[in-house]
Amino acid sequence: MTRLTRREFLRTSAAGAGFGFLAAGCAPAIKGDFAPKAGRRVVVVGGGWGGATAAKYVRLADPSIEVVLLEPNKQFVSCPFSNLVLSGVRSIDGLTFGYGGLRNHGVRIYHESASAIEPDTGRVRVGDGYLQYDRLIVSPGVEFQWEQVDGLAAAQDRVLHAWKAGPQTVELARQLAAIPDGGVFVLTVPPVAYRCPPGPYERACQVAFYLKTHKPKSKLIVLDANQNVVSKAALFRAAWKDYPNLEYRASNKVVKVDPSVREVTTDLGDRVKYDVVNLIPPQRAGTIAAQADLVGADKRWCEVNHLTYESVKHKNVHVVGDSTIGLPVPKSGNIANAMGKICAVAVVHLLNGKEPPAMAPGNTCYSWVNDREAIAVVNAYKIEGGKVVQIEQKLTPGQSAQWAQNADGWARSIWQDILG
Amino acid sequence: MRTILGLILGPLGLSVLMSGPAGAGPLDAPGASKALACSACHGLGGQSPSNTMPIIAGIAPWYFKKAIEDYAAGRRPSPEMEPYAKYVREAGIDDLAAYFASQSRQPTAVKVDAGAVERGRVASQQCVVCHVESGKGDPAKGIPDLRGQPPGYLANQMLLFKADQRSPGDPTLKALKELMKSVPDDQIADLAAYYSSLR
Repeated sequence: MTRLTRREFLRTSAAGAGFGFLAAGCAPAIKGDFAPKAGRRVVVVGGGWGGATAAKYVRLADPSIEVVLLEPNKQFVSCPFSNLVLSGVRSIDGLTFGYGGLRNHGVRIYHESASAIEPDTGRVRVGDGYLQYDRLIVSPGVEFQWEQVDGLAAAQDRVLHAWKAGPQTVELARQLAAIPDGGVFVLTVPPVAYRCPPGPYERACQVAFYLKTHKPKSKLIVLDANQNVVSKAALFRAAWKDYPNLEYRASNKVVKVDPSVREVTTDLGDRVKYDVVNLIPPQRAGTIAAQADLVGADKRWCEVNHLTYESVKHKNVHVVGDSTIGLPVPKSGNIANAMGKICAVAVVHLLNGKEPPAMAPGNTCYSWVNDREAIAVVNAYKIEGGKVVQIEQKLTPGQSAQWAQNADGWARSIWQDILG
Repeated sequence: MRTILGLILGPLGLSVLMSGPAGAGPLDAPGASKALACSACHGLGGQSPSNTMPIIAGIAPWYFKKAIEDYAAGRRPSPEMEPYAKYVREAGIDDLAAYFASQSRQPTAVKVDAGAVERGRVASQQCVVCHVESGKGDPAKGIPDLRGQPPGYLANQMLLFKADQRSPGDPTLKALKELMKSVPDDQIADLAAYYSSLR
């Protein structure tokens, strides 16, 4: 496999996008069976950490299987490391990649959204058309529960989540940079389960670092719906000793936002004024998972078989990434990548009439606490009785530049593993 | 796992026909599926693309197993590798050692400065007693192959030896650590560049 630099990623992406555009110009409109299936086919819905990995690895495992990826975005923007864009330590360009590497593996990509899944007929609906599949891998990420916070649905353009890396990340960085010295930045943490458990606290570090460096009279208030820091708690609390400008309030669930007076209200009835707010809303599985009846009784997340990631509700439909529940794993990028690989191998085995191997995921998760130091948590798992079981969780003994260098190495490697 | 018969039409079929003989897919090797937990950091087949993670493609099985056992037992402290080493023991250390040993090793793609390589070559005279002139090491004495590893990884390991943070207290590494204490940090970067450049 050739190594792709980011520049090459972007170049191949541009070429790929151009080809896609031309092909789209010549191809019939999306109507009916717009890409008739000739051989065995896996359709992947969603080109994030889980879906892009699954698409690539199905092709690696068995190039005789056609893989079609449906992903509306033309570029992949990494959520991991995107908190560093807020502090100006990294640029969004450095986290943005094209899908050219997947095309080189023979993955057919349509930059379209799946609108429905029909498990009974083995079809995915796309606009007025559909695609047929033998096996479907759904990696829809998370959707926000806007209705859980009064006033949020109507204020989505001003009250940013920046929890899907991209334009909102850049806009929130701009808002942070524009905050008056002496201003208040409010960051709200949703109740578990949500994407990236340590993410809000890493973001708190990056915002506090930025304010301490550039707006020393300003303050960060973290309103956490949970009773304590959800991940790497002792390490984050130790890191926050460097940030007297950070005020952390546990068990403060935000239930209302009013941008006209720049104020949030907690379930305790406290009103907190802000100059800039970053409201990370409560979350559930991506919309397509709910529409396709892949979510469980909680109406939020998708339960899956621990060996194959096949939905417990629909045959031949597999779910990977943040939208799954029931495994003792965090909703992390590394886990989504691991699920994508395991699911791909399982799907190929099943399509070839073989029993899938029992494979366990792993999790490596770094968080940056300033511009040069990071902390980490690592989880190892095994399969026992057909279920994923944790072997061990290990934390770094503290924060250091060494873990930050390792974080950088991890990111470069895993981006390649997903897209290269 | 790979089925070539009964396949496909169009450009996909062409790409399969052009991809070589059947049964040689990258995930067909024994142990390959167990190694997928490693590829997020170490790259597919152990060919690490980054500066900090070592290339384990082509690694000698004795060295792989020693490293895994040392990590798992906490003798080689690493919050990242200790859990994964336990995963490897659960999954089957022999399978994984054989898999990575069977992978063809490419030298790191991380570029190094020619001046640093030359300074490192001169400084390497203190290393050749064990690592030999070629940098290939000596399995009989438990000396690993350093050639073509990422320079960041090599430098970090030398710093860990110098600070007695890699395998602390290991009597077999006493002489190495004494030597590393005499090596200034900027020379460590040069040595890393030199050994990284060897093929």
